[in-house]
Amino acid sequence: MKDQVRYYKPFISPTDPCPPIRVKSYSTPPQLFIPFQPPNWPQFTPFEALKLGTLWPALYSPYQSKSNRSEEGED
Amino acid sequence: MAIVLDDEYYRLLHELQAVDFVLVELTLYLDTHPDDTAAIAQYNQYGQLRQKIAAVYESKYGPLKSFGQSPSGVPWSWNEAPWPWQV
Repeated sequence: MKDQVRYYKPFISPTDPCPPIRVKSYSTPPQLFIPFQPPNWPQFTPFEALKLGTLWPALYSPYQSKSNRSEEGED
Repeated sequence: MAIVLDDEYYRLLHELQAVDFVLVELTLYLDTHPDDTAAIAQYNQYGQLRQKIAAVYESKYGPLKSFGQSPSGVPWSWNEAPWPWQV
């Protein structure tokens, strides 16, 4: 499970009208697994935070574009 | 009087954006953690830092905002180019 991305294989039917998408992916950012943010978490520097989109490394989620998510499960 | 978009201009804007983003993050954090004194101290610290950066920027390049939130020089120029999306 690399880089917060998970994969699944949708059902492909012989009667599908369009070419099948064999493997689909979805992002699972860290906030899904953190019920409540604890205090005094480590922080990025302001410039890093502005660039990465969050002040807290624990919540950083590198949302890769769908096109280059060819990881295990991609055939 | 068009202003000159020099390196100092972009450096100040970049700093201002970074500090503003930290303030946004801290505000959202403090909305759910009202008793976190360390975060409140950091929030106040960055609030003052933002005032300083904005003051330096506005003294050199004109007002950032209007409606009394930024001092205005003569002539009245907050509605002149360049706008934020143009720089």
